[in-house]
Amino acid sequence: MSAIHANPITERERAANRSQPQPGETPARLAGLRDRVRNALGFFPFLAPVHVLLLSIIVIPAFYVGWLSLNTSSFGQAPVYVGLANYVKVLTDPAFREALINTGIIVVVAVHLELALALGMALLFAGGLPGRRFLLVAVLAPYAISEVTAVAMWRFLFDPDIGPVTMALRALHLPVLEWSYVPSHGLIIIALLTIWLHLPFTFVILFAARLAIPGELYEAAKVDGATTLQSFRRVTLPLLGPAMLIALLFRYIFAFRLFSEVWLMTQGGPARSTEVVAVYLYQEAFRFNAFGTAAATAWIMVLISLLLAAGYVLILRRQGGAHAH
Amino acid sequence: MRIERLLANGGRLVAVALILIWSLFPIAFVLMSSVKPAKDIFAAPPKFVFEPTIRHYLDLIAKWGVFFDGLLNSLIVTVGATLLAVVASVAAGYIYSRHSGRFLSASAVFLIVVRLIPPIAITLPLFPVVNWLRLNDTHLVLILLYATFFVSLGTLLMRTFIDQVPRELDEAALIDGASRFTILRSIILPIVAPGILAVSVFVVVFAWNEFLFAFVFTATRAKTAPLVISEMIGSIDGVDWGILFAAATVQLLPVLLFVGFMHRYLVAGLSAGATKG
Repeated sequence: MSAIHANPITERERAANRSQPQPGETPARLAGLRDRVRNALGFFPFLAPVHVLLLSIIVIPAFYVGWLSLNTSSFGQAPVYVGLANYVKVLTDPAFREALINTGIIVVVAVHLELALALGMALLFAGGLPGRRFLLVAVLAPYAISEVTAVAMWRFLFDPDIGPVTMALRALHLPVLEWSYVPSHGLIIIALLTIWLHLPFTFVILFAARLAIPGELYEAAKVDGATTLQSFRRVTLPLLGPAMLIALLFRYIFAFRLFSEVWLMTQGGPARSTEVVAVYLYQEAFRFNAFGTAAATAWIMVLISLLLAAGYVLILRRQGGAHAH
Repeated sequence: MRIERLLANGGRLVAVALILIWSLFPIAFVLMSSVKPAKDIFAAPPKFVFEPTIRHYLDLIAKWGVFFDGLLNSLIVTVGATLLAVVASVAAGYIYSRHSGRFLSASAVFLIVVRLIPPIAITLPLFPVVNWLRLNDTHLVLILLYATFFVSLGTLLMRTFIDQVPRELDEAALIDGASRFTILRSIILPIVAPGILAVSVFVVVFAWNEFLFAFVFTATRAKTAPLVISEMIGSIDGVDWGILFAAATVQLLPVLLFVGFMHRYLVAGLSAGATKG
């Protein structure tokens, strides 16, 4: 299942062979080495496109931005080495701190709310529904919508003057979202929008994991006299745990890079109050041409993402080890 | 007991209705408003019965010719990125599926990790390079960027799909003296068509809808449809909602239908892609 441990047995055998060198085996080992070199050369054309793309477009630029973050520069300016000064500048910038807090709020609130909704929906779907295929397609629909179009929809639906949702809320005497000038309302609408766009992803992960739980477990629980709530707590939750963790980490990583929704909805305004980290980076880089601080922000983003990614890989590995093919 | 059941069923019905409204209402609202007469668009409460008109579409054609250039650019970039990502992923996925070793398993982890690096972090270092190579505002730069952000997921997906093809098939061909390339093309490729579709769904949806890279790296010649729509939203002299809804409809309908038809591959790809890394 998991290719991280592509083939544990051969790995172990190979290690054993290596640790017991026996006289007279050298020609065979040389032949093995030759085979391996030939193999590697044979692999090259197949692996090259993927790795050349990744190295030249993601990895090298990511390291280059790390180097840029230790320098100060702008358009047409030679970079000057400044050590960690850019990091100090970014970390003490109130605008950055505000952006980081906003990002944190959106990541924590939106992602967990989304997970709870997805879990409820996955259980509802797994319980059997009439017309499940149509419902599945309906739930997936927002996945197909671009951020730009989604923002256009939501700006209209929640327009403070003419939006149908705003008017419906008013008619019901409920509070309305003044998202264009109340910062917290701006964050709420961005969080809602982001949940709307990404709920299909989280739902599919949890739904697939729920379907993978064998039905016998529920029958056994029923025979033992477990209530619905008990079988949820003792069967569903523990078995869905890993999938929930994976969905959660994935969504942390993707919510953390949130840019388009914010940029198109509020442009980070009013007065930079709804900025998130990615928007802060964009402003520094392309509006203020402060490449040093922008690069420091970028490298901070990369580091946090890699930290989350490490957690993700760890979980995958543990799972792969638990039921290694 | 019966009352309990009735309540449970009623609750489920309400839940389903809420889910449908949540997922479909915003989309349906855009589609509907794109054929609403201008005077009815802002009616309160919203009108669901009206005389449909193609007025906004005619206005879109008359005033926003650039939107259709954008659609063409989106199409070129989407097709290019999908082809590149699929070819690269199938080739690499084949090796990852059929061979093992320390280098390969380490680089599989590398694939997972690299795809989690935030795209905006690399726009800054790439910007001067792209300018220097005179690639800014070209289809090629978007094709390369979009494909790159999906080749790692694509490779891992193709590996899980190729894993399901019995090894005996290609070992037999290997004994017959077929090259790896021939085996891949004539034996593996036809069997893993579903995997290719799964990878394609991801790239198509992403490339067709992407905003950030298009925003940073294109200006006029390669400007994609989402970018043109974002200009309509940010229009200084007020948003013309009728035209905007028409443009949004044209932009979203093809990819919505595509996802609808391909939902099985999307589900397979999403769950395999996230959990089988």
